[in-house]
Amino acid sequence: MAMYVLYESSSGYALLEVHGLDEIGQNTEAVRTSVSDLSRFGRVVQLTAFHPFESALDALNQVNAVSEGVMTDELRSFLELNLPKVKEGKKPKFSLGLAEPKLGSHIFEATKIPCQSNEFVLELLRGVRQHFDRFIKDLKPGDLEKSQLGLAHSYSRAKVKFNVNRVDNMVIQAIFLLDTLDKDINSFAMRVREWYSWHFPELVKIVNDNYLYARVSKMIDDKSKLTEDHIPMLTEVLGDEDKAKEVIEAGKASMGQDLSPLDLINVQTFAQRVMDLADYRKKLYDYLVTKMSDIAPNLAALIGEMVGARLISHAGSLTNLAKCPSSTLQILGAEKALFRALKTRGNTPKYGLIFHSSFIGRASAKNKGRIARYLANKCSIASRIDCFADGATTAFGEKLREQVEERLEFYDKGVAPRKNVDVMKEVIENLQKQDEEGKEPVDASAKKSKKKKAKGEEEEEEVVAMEEDKSEKKKKKEKRKMETAEENEKSEKKKTKKSKPGGEEETDDGHSTKKKKKKSKTAE
Amino acid sequence: MKPPQRGRGGGVRGGRGLARGGEGSAVRGSGRGGESGRGRGPGRVKSESDGGIKGGSKVLVTPHRHAGVFVAKSKADALVTKNLVPGEIIYNEKRIFVQNEDRSTVEYRVWNPHRSKLADAITTGVDNIWIKPGVKVLYLGASSGYTVSHVSDIVGPEGCVYAVEHSDICGKVLMNMAEKRTNVIPIIEDARHPAKYRMLVGMVDIIFSDVNHPEQAKILSLNASYFLKSGGHFMISIKANSIDSTIAAETVYQMEVEKLQMEELRPTEILHLDSCEEKHACVFGGYRLPRK
Repeated sequence: MAMYVLYESSSGYALLEVHGLDEIGQNTEAVRTSVSDLSRFGRVVQLTAFHPFESALDALNQVNAVSEGVMTDELRSFLELNLPKVKEGKKPKFSLGLAEPKLGSHIFEATKIPCQSNEFVLELLRGVRQHFDRFIKDLKPGDLEKSQLGLAHSYSRAKVKFNVNRVDNMVIQAIFLLDTLDKDINSFAMRVREWYSWHFPELVKIVNDNYLYARVSKMIDDKSKLTEDHIPMLTEVLGDEDKAKEVIEAGKASMGQDLSPLDLINVQTFAQRVMDLADYRKKLYDYLVTKMSDIAPNLAALIGEMVGARLISHAGSLTNLAKCPSSTLQILGAEKALFRALKTRGNTPKYGLIFHSSFIGRASAKNKGRIARYLANKCSIASRIDCFADGATTAFGEKLREQVEERLEFYDKGVAPRKNVDVMKEVIENLQKQDEEGKEPVDASAKKSKKKKAKGEEEEEEVVAMEEDKSEKKKKKEKRKMETAEENEKSEKKKTKKSKPGGEEETDDGHSTKKKKKKSKTAE
Repeated sequence: MKPPQRGRGGGVRGGRGLARGGEGSAVRGSGRGGESGRGRGPGRVKSESDGGIKGGSKVLVTPHRHAGVFVAKSKADALVTKNLVPGEIIYNEKRIFVQNEDRSTVEYRVWNPHRSKLADAITTGVDNIWIKPGVKVLYLGASSGYTVSHVSDIVGPEGCVYAVEHSDICGKVLMNMAEKRTNVIPIIEDARHPAKYRMLVGMVDIIFSDVNHPEQAKILSLNASYFLKSGGHFMISIKANSIDSTIAAETVYQMEVEKLQMEELRPTEILHLDSCEEKHACVFGGYRLPRK
């Protein structure tokens, strides 16, 4: 009776036939001794067929199936193609050795190929694994490791739900590029002005904007050719007919020297370059805005895309930003002043990059520090929601923004702002309403998680909490709040299966599951 | 107040910010010893996190008895490994730059025994760690990848480290680290079921297990039966309280050793790691060793 062995590797499936070893005996000791010697093993086990995976995606599907113990179509066709046919009614004259019995039962159900996974088979597979690169002639020594590496990375990424769209590195690079571009455009524009002023000096004083200057200079070309006919065109560019007339007048009485056509062409090309760069900068800015709304929508809704992106790039990544306490976030960007003040025991700075958001400017001098602190706290919340929650919603960010506005009003007029508990409740209600309008209502678990949410809020207030968790640090509270927010966002995302057991779990075990989650998070 | 990781606002920043760019100035540890790492404000607190080396001192690096590991001698000795990816550090560890005769700098990273059980074992004086350049290692319980990175430094580009870690959060950090180091293969999967990741792992020379699970002996033996070559070696770290916190530590170690022996994992050395942590031990041994 023939015996085959299936070996799954990262580069493909291999089917090997076992000779020489007595099937009935199935002596594991004998296999072991033969394994150590490649030539002996090579006589015992021979490669029947090898089916390499078509693509990385195919390999990923196969590895997922193998880890679950499920047979894929490709595996099935590979086996049926290369193993002897199983005739109906007759007992098959061979058997297939596998590493996992679960997979074996699957294969048997579908194809009636008898499978076994005993110690004997495991020893054989050890031998195959050890000498695999010798069996497959096309594989060069490093190839197997490379395929393992690639496959392991994609498998692991799927496990941690790595989302390409939510890579915060793009934002960091975009912000750097934006800054560099600004500097470069500025220096080039200055250069254009100087260069063209050799020909037409008065234009500098009339047109102040760099971008417009470039356009105008490109359009005017040679100033001696300027006539009244050009007024409509100039008006279009400058937006002001008077200015256009000024330009024409100045052109007639200009002191500048004439330039040869070749020189003029050069200036024009350069001016065109500046315009192109400025256009690109605009596009880059739009790209940045879109990216921010992808990876950190709440932060962007709260303080704006530019400031948000700067904060993320300063901290190094969205996760770093979420990890740091809000007091750090408050003075991110003012480190020099901070450490100088700490060393000389002076006053530490009140705000860093946060200063550029609109709120600080609107507060009176006395309250700038307070608003800065308040804003930093809300930014911390927003960044944590963005980092750890699954959905991409700006609901929280907008509500947080409202809270800051209310706080500003309070300093202005003394209007008492709403309590944080209430604001957050509103957000959750809105999110759930959206969910109910969707296909699957999640009333029961939603209500339960809402209760949990309400409980979470009470703790978030700096009031002494009634719960056992009052000893938790603020960060843990935030994270738990994020988890409950997560639960809600999960339910929002119509993953009813997950949220229902999740909701029930919470109310059953109460805080124990949450504590477990916290423990794993602090292990970071 | 802890300064943010990427120092871009100028100001006083030791280590990362300045040392990057490979300044070839003689030999130096990164500055500001106590600041990086825990960052307990401006006051300099001698924390355990710095691994024993002070900043700015003259350091001499010599190879350790174990291949691939080095010792940096200065006022306090430190264990270091040669950085596989110069310029990259995992989490704020210090680096030591040594200049060669031909003016090229070699970068070493300090290995902290308080954070890594393997480093602890080496400083306690284990006979043989079996991990050396060119071997393949299966690392169960890789966590965020601190020790994995040092093992990857030791085995070098010819060797490889299969790092198995079950948790998502640590897994993400591990994967980031693995993206920079191509000899680390991250596997985010449960080590109790090696069948699930059998497609991703080849035959290894050494299994290193730091899972701290009551059934860790069984986990190790199952993985060994799949992936450890005959005559290969293993190291398992035992936290007595993880197995059974009610009985004495010595008894726990004995129990684990017996469980291992039943599965053809023959222990050759048992080390008590009491210098850095309590009730921890390390067992080194061989698998299917030939009978003498």
